[in-house]
Amino acid sequence: MSLQLTRRTFLKAGFTTAAVGATGLPLEALPAEAKGWNWERGVCRFCGTGCGIRIASKEGRVVAVKGDPQNPVNRGLLCAKGYACAQILYGADRLKRPLLRKKNGVYDKQGDFEEVTWKEAFDVMKQQWTKAHQALGPTGVAVMGSGQYTIMEGYAALKLVKAGWRSNNLDPNARHCMASAVTAFMQTFGIDEPSGCYEDIELTDAVVTWGANMAEMHPMLWARVMDERLRRPDYRVINLTTYANATSEGADLEIVFKPNTDLAIWNYLAREIVKRGAVDQDYVAKHCVFAAGAVDIGFGLREDTLKAYPAEKDTLARQKTVVLTRDEALARGLDPEARHERAQAASNNPQQHWLITSEEFQKGLEPYTLDFVARIAKGDPDESLEAFKAKLVQLADEYANPKRKQVSFWTMGFNQHTRGTWVNEQAYMVHLLTGKQARPGAGAFSLTGQPSACGTAREVGTFAHRLPADMTVDNPAHRKDAEDIWNLPPNTINPKVGSHIVQMMRDLEDGKIRWLWVQVTNPFQSSANANHTLEAARKLDNFIVVSDVYPTLSAKVADLILPSAMIYEKWGGYGNAERRTQLWRQVVLPPGEARSDVWQMMEFAKRFTLAEVWGEQPVPGLEAPGYTKGKLPSVLPAAAAQGFKPETTLYEVLFATKAAKATAWPDPVAFDKPNSTVTHAKIHWFPEKALFEEYRRFGLGHGHDLAPFDTYFRRDVAGLRWPVVEGKETPWRFNDQYDPYAKQGSGIDFYGTAMKKLPSGDLSGPKPGEAKALPGRAKIFFRPWQEPPESPDATYDLWLCTGRVLEHWHSGTMTRRVPQLHAAVPEALLFMHAKDADRRGLKAGELAWIESRRGRIQARVTLGGRNKVPRGLVYVPWFDEGVFINKITLDATCPISKETDFKKCAVRITKVV
Amino acid sequence: MRHSILLLTLCAAPLLAGPPAKPVPDRNLGLSRTSVFDVPVPPLFHDEASAPGETPLPKRINKEYPPVIPHGVADFLPITRSANGCVDCHALPGPKQKGEATPIPASHYVDLRRTPEAKGEALVGTRYVCISCHVPQTDAPPLVASTFRR
Repeated sequence: MSLQLTRRTFLKAGFTTAAVGATGLPLEALPAEAKGWNWERGVCRFCGTGCGIRIASKEGRVVAVKGDPQNPVNRGLLCAKGYACAQILYGADRLKRPLLRKKNGVYDKQGDFEEVTWKEAFDVMKQQWTKAHQALGPTGVAVMGSGQYTIMEGYAALKLVKAGWRSNNLDPNARHCMASAVTAFMQTFGIDEPSGCYEDIELTDAVVTWGANMAEMHPMLWARVMDERLRRPDYRVINLTTYANATSEGADLEIVFKPNTDLAIWNYLAREIVKRGAVDQDYVAKHCVFAAGAVDIGFGLREDTLKAYPAEKDTLARQKTVVLTRDEALARGLDPEARHERAQAASNNPQQHWLITSEEFQKGLEPYTLDFVARIAKGDPDESLEAFKAKLVQLADEYANPKRKQVSFWTMGFNQHTRGTWVNEQAYMVHLLTGKQARPGAGAFSLTGQPSACGTAREVGTFAHRLPADMTVDNPAHRKDAEDIWNLPPNTINPKVGSHIVQMMRDLEDGKIRWLWVQVTNPFQSSANANHTLEAARKLDNFIVVSDVYPTLSAKVADLILPSAMIYEKWGGYGNAERRTQLWRQVVLPPGEARSDVWQMMEFAKRFTLAEVWGEQPVPGLEAPGYTKGKLPSVLPAAAAQGFKPETTLYEVLFATKAAKATAWPDPVAFDKPNSTVTHAKIHWFPEKALFEEYRRFGLGHGHDLAPFDTYFRRDVAGLRWPVVEGKETPWRFNDQYDPYAKQGSGIDFYGTAMKKLPSGDLSGPKPGEAKALPGRAKIFFRPWQEPPESPDATYDLWLCTGRVLEHWHSGTMTRRVPQLHAAVPEALLFMHAKDADRRGLKAGELAWIESRRGRIQARVTLGGRNKVPRGLVYVPWFDEGVFINKITLDATCPISKETDFKKCAVRITKVV
Repeated sequence: MRHSILLLTLCAAPLLAGPPAKPVPDRNLGLSRTSVFDVPVPPLFHDEASAPGETPLPKRINKEYPPVIPHGVADFLPITRSANGCVDCHALPGPKQKGEATPIPASHYVDLRRTPEAKGEALVGTRYVCISCHVPQTDAPPLVASTFRR
């Protein structure tokens, strides 16, 4: 039909925003069409911004990409990485056949890699799965997923692991990325994900970045910030950071603070807002309550020291007991001269919190005076205390001004933090106190790092504790919902939360996980304290599968490598940081025998019968109403009643369902684009669409509504921000003018339901009494500042902070194969202050040892460039496997979110001689 | 260094296609041709240091990829609100004259968010931070060959 439309009509269609209903129209003709280029719409492969992209293909190859001018996120622009989305497909060492470690023709953990067929790969993979499962049950196997999974891939993995294998050992790299943001959303609002959207950048009066080097990490959002700053003289940009970075260069005010003292600065701000009478009393009275939680919660470190290196033991001891520093005593209102030893008694229940009064809240803030906070928080030893104080006052002036709106953005500086949940909650504390949350141009706004950290990891719920649409496996009603939608017998889903990704690495080291499938991530490079995990992977009896597109460091560590299809070689969808869901069509075919991850999971599922997985299973530690302790019941009899036979495969039960098979391929929405999953599986239905449509059922009517699959391919749609109700997206949640779920007339309605029934107490703990329901309200938490688990001392005398660079994505496996990006930043450098380098006899370009309690590596020194670190702190990006900085970092986590703190540990630097 | 990288790339070639390859030890895979237990010595690279105009313009990747910066950038960075060393030279009307910097193209004067149909007078604010898209270069050779066709 639409093929007959003229070029003129295409052009017209391209610039209208009316609902034309032109499903499946190709893009308007572009000048480059003369070269035989065929343009298709898609999404950038990289960060959480979610830039719209147009992809040109010719003769089966992607030849160029450009920013999509119709996409409101980026309006035609991309960053240096985004423009490389074509080149990332074409590194010469793309994986094209499965590779298995073998000796003498058979699998051998000590063997070298040999090419094998998919059949042999899956045969060995299944034998090894069965070996681990028979020895340990469902907790002995695990899948590490990703915030770069497509929505459909994440959903397929969730179903395979949780419904099929009855394991909850599925956790994404997103655990390292935004788990703290999630726990703070859940505790504060009772529902996950931001209230605001990117238009806040244009609508606000001030952008405050906290631990977010937006200029490098979200360049196209930064472009919008700079655009606004350049056109509006009264627009302010304030950068809070532990070192001067690229974002500082565009900022009006830069505040360099000492690592971990961001919590103290927030409390100073809240105290000022209260003292200055800047609290929005009406907003707080109508929409908020005050809350506090346990304080001695440990640092998410291992409880035991059995596997610890001798040098690690002093840091690990702080997991059990902390002796308060003088300043910590002052912050708690205690006698600073006395010794205060604190058992970390709440480390097994760190998320516990309760209601407090406004007076108790203010009592908690009282120690955080300007003098106290400035003294502990000043991060640059070469800055005067008075100058630093003046900056804090300016910051307070901004937030406390009732006439100005602010947006606070943060990323990994907050999330990768041993008090990550708390510091996220403190941002909401200030925005809620001032009534500047869930309003256009005002709000605390957590940015995500990965392209589908929101869309897949969080919304689909590929975490050890989650199910789709904010549901959790330890909630019986949620399990029942999932079992109903998935057509599973009751009690199929395991009620015991699985191992999070940091715990999975520890379980691997302890022999508790012996089979691991890694998908769309590079965890052996990206996890902290890597010497332990490398030893565990290579020297213990386990089997590790890595599905990837290039031979990553994790692939080198694996026993079996499976070649995967890349982004434009498959159908997919991502969800960005402003809740925008964007789907794309497959553009080109995957190379060689590379296969989509959806195909891999469906094919592997064919090798499991229900008899193997749905009988009684041991689950150590399982305790739940209706379950025998330590056991999952057999659900085979109930399955038989539903018509499933013991020999029915997981493929039939989970993927090739009746509804799925009714989703026909070919489909008009494809507009003649290929689907390699369909071709390779030799089927006549559309797995990606079937998975999406089934997944969508979880969110409808629960505030997580997505539009039908086909809608996202409409010519006039450039992604939609959920909840999408009656075809309309939601730019601002919880605001009754924009969000259909907010009660009309309420103004603001924080309608999330999780953790909304709480006991009352004071700062020290809850008191006996009735729990109180909090419908429609958000919580303003008091959270104290504390010292981190490891700080510089006489031996390890410098702070180490790690992070990314603009030119490289995460572990560099794609961008380092793009010649001009590699040439721009060919290796990770050690950013040092000139005086710190000089004291160690180091000059720019020279080799230094970086050493922590956990390992040592070499890197070359740089004294200038994009990061100007203060004395006492060094910065090393983590993209470079040749400068393997995660051998140095500490695997401490936020005890609530279990997200690793990659931003602070203690190191020493010496010259390589 | 350049030589050894080339050699290593060739070693990996049997993995790419054709008949079953010889067994490959893990150290020969990936970007660092070392065991994951080794501590490699990072090579020394040098930033491009030529003055503008000294180095011939490299061939563009394609019309859509922003040209890389062929000259040294140390003297022109950082870009701040009050100082943009790139714009100082490149804000020319065009077309390019011999001995002049490459002019900022017309596309950079169109505000695609607010007035997509109109050519503006000034460089659009979203394009102000040039190095978000145009990357500087060093003397580092590619780690792995690329089969991308321009």
